Amino acid sequence: MQKYKLNRLQTTKLIGPIVDKHWADLRAAKENGELVAWCSGPMFAFPYAMKMKCHFMAGYAAYAAGRGAGQRLLEIAEDEGDLLDACSYHKAHMGMAAAVKKNIPVKEEVILPLPDLMITGRLCPEMSHYAEGLYRRMNINVIGIDSPPPAKESDIPAMEKFCEHQIRESLIPTLEGICGKKFDYDNLSRILSVLKETALLRNECWEYFKCTPSPWTLWDYGVSIAPVFYLMGSPEAVPYYKKLKAELKKRSEQKIGAIEPEKHRIYWDGWLPWGFLGQFSRKMTNLGMVPLVGRYPWEFFPHPETIDTEGDPVVAFAKQVYSNGGLARQNMPSMSLPQIHKWIEEYKLDGVIMFSSKSCRMWNLGHNDFIKAIERKNGIPGVVIDGDMVDARLNSEAQIETRLEALSEMMTARQK
Amino acid sequence: MKQGALEKCIQISEDPYSYLSNLKNESKKKIISCFAMHIPEEIIHAAGMLPVIAWRSNESVTLGHSHVAPYNCGLTRSFVDDIVLGKLEFIDGIVVHRMCLQAQGMPFILDQNAKLPYLEYLSMPALYDSIPIKDFLLEEIKRFQTGIEKYAETQITDEKLNKSIEIYNKNKVFLNEIYEMRRQNPGIIKAREMLCVVHASMIMPKEEHTKLLGEIIAELKKKEIDPAVKNAHKVIISGSMCQTPNLELLDMIEELNMVVVDDDLFIGSRYIANPVEIGDTPLKAIAERYLKRTPPCPTKGDIKFDWTDYLIEMLERNKAKGIINLLIKYCPPHMCYYPDIKNKLAERKISEIMIEVEHEVISMAQAKTRLQSFVEIIGGV
Repeated sequence: MQKYKLNRLQTTKLIGPIVDKHWADLRAAKENGELVAWCSGPMFAFPYAMKMKCHFMAGYAAYAAGRGAGQRLLEIAEDEGDLLDACSYHKAHMGMAAAVKKNIPVKEEVILPLPDLMITGRLCPEMSHYAEGLYRRMNINVIGIDSPPPAKESDIPAMEKFCEHQIRESLIPTLEGICGKKFDYDNLSRILSVLKETALLRNECWEYFKCTPSPWTLWDYGVSIAPVFYLMGSPEAVPYYKKLKAELKKRSEQKIGAIEPEKHRIYWDGWLPWGFLGQFSRKMTNLGMVPLVGRYPWEFFPHPETIDTEGDPVVAFAKQVYSNGGLARQNMPSMSLPQIHKWIEEYKLDGVIMFSSKSCRMWNLGHNDFIKAIERKNGIPGVVIDGDMVDARLNSEAQIETRLEALSEMMTARQK
Repeated sequence: MKQGALEKCIQISEDPYSYLSNLKNESKKKIISCFAMHIPEEIIHAAGMLPVIAWRSNESVTLGHSHVAPYNCGLTRSFVDDIVLGKLEFIDGIVVHRMCLQAQGMPFILDQNAKLPYLEYLSMPALYDSIPIKDFLLEEIKRFQTGIEKYAETQITDEKLNKSIEIYNKNKVFLNEIYEMRRQNPGIIKAREMLCVVHASMIMPKEEHTKLLGEIIAELKKKEIDPAVKNAHKVIISGSMCQTPNLELLDMIEELNMVVVDDDLFIGSRYIANPVEIGDTPLKAIAERYLKRTPPCPTKGDIKFDWTDYLIEMLERNKAKGIINLLIKYCPPHMCYYPDIKNKLAERKISEIMIEVEHEVISMAQAKTRLQSFVEIIGGV
């Protein structure tokens, strides 16, 4: 039986301390007299511009799950009345807020200060539900910026204008009121400049997914995501991606694959399974499967070359959410399928995995029809794997293994 | 024997497929399915087409599960199942409003499998406090109207739209009259019947339905209430957001010495709330209706209006003894709000029970045990 080996990158080991520092700074913010925002959705650039400390919903849930505290937070939320089937990200926050409010024991590193402002992005309606819940339970000051995903290209201009107007007329005045000072447009431009430089480097790294064997996996990309998203503008971002790029370059020159030998190149759809990356990695490695591109990981500023750092930063940001971006459009299956077809050819992919989160309906609608459309157009097989990004109770080891094996067999049969 | 108006509503509610298929054959009118809440049906009507609200079928999902995972709500799964089974061939088009994540993902599945000549996705915004929300809403409704005009090959004048609004408002007035009769005379119409009457309104041309309502109101005015019902405990039903509740469950509630005196169901008082103001700017008036914060709707992203307060006010106004919350499994807007309803009602010492309902599987025996316990609590036994 063929044995496969996982070659871990050295650079990704540097990300842990960067992420830990972010959350540690956030925990200490109140003691340091700093204002705190929480964000569901991509609007954290704006509190950052005002030098507030800021949390990000999915980033926090991934962090808490990675620290092994996800399940405990879900249990606390359920003790408070939340239901098993509700979004795990929603419940992780409700659990944490309840732990803070009622002094319920939970790992110290996942406790956060309650915010001075909660900003909901509403890319998905549940982002709003979570902010509404915090308002009702904690009386937290909440502001909403609706960011509806477009169903077709012609929807984009009006939605982009809508997003921009909400930021300008609603979010910025609110931040000015809370911070007691004028909005710092220059700082926002600076943050976008750092983001641009970081994301350009990130894209150069992404290109290495085209190499055969691929020197890194989508999981490596996932753990590197923070500097191009919720750690936007941080000074560690550019050096991190420079080191990462150098390591990928070296590996590709030496033909070192992330998984050796590389047997199957995989498209991954849906959330990355944040709480279970190691578990999935081991199972996929055993079958020689390398997860490469995916529409969720690609949604974070995929076209940084279009970021206008000289003009109005609010316009530039709204464009990154809509016309030049991926955040809003990748959430709609109709907008993302053409991109997936293209990736399959460009990255020479052999199969697709649709990771269908049972507690999150953002990605799971359309998964079976994706597989059919991909089979028709690209001629490669796919499977749906049901699970969850945080909740271990919704992941079945046996089902994951069976479906991975089935996919492996289908791909092997077609490769012959 | 001539079929009564109430019986006709029940028949249409129970089998909308036959009714709409026949209607289509006879009238040749285009039928547009609306998925599901808050869609401005008046615009579709003004274009000479028939808007019908998407419903949950009476059958288990089969082929639909090849397209929608079982951990999605019954309405989504059932609607897709009906589409892929070809049960909705009388429908010419579908409009889906982004009321939840399931609605967000559905147009893609419909487009892949139904290939309808008209498929629209409507993004009416959250009710956040800002001017851009109002501007975007109006633009979105205008965009919807333009698309409908193009598909129907007609122009919707303000006059036509006001006429449709008037027809829809009149239907709401009549339905509200029946609701008020039930509030004043609990038991005059059963919960199942009330639901079917509203559901028929979502399917039939409003002009015909309003005629039936006139007959139903006349019949109810003559009706003697069963003396046993007078001693029943008044309850409110809440939830079941955009999907038909299980009718047997409604019967069970009323067979257990409770009487439903009011509700906030979508296929209920929620659908008939807020008539549109007739005036010079009907599109703006339609937008104004959507912006109203009552009945509070968890799909609208309204941060500050409290659904529980609304329920408490309804309970007190009706002198009801408790609230039965019907929570559809896998309905995120309701799921995320429910803990706050439960906790606030508990703080106020208001009796409440939540029954989780599902499209295929509902344990009626378990529901009965829980409802028996609930009636003992509210009855002080």
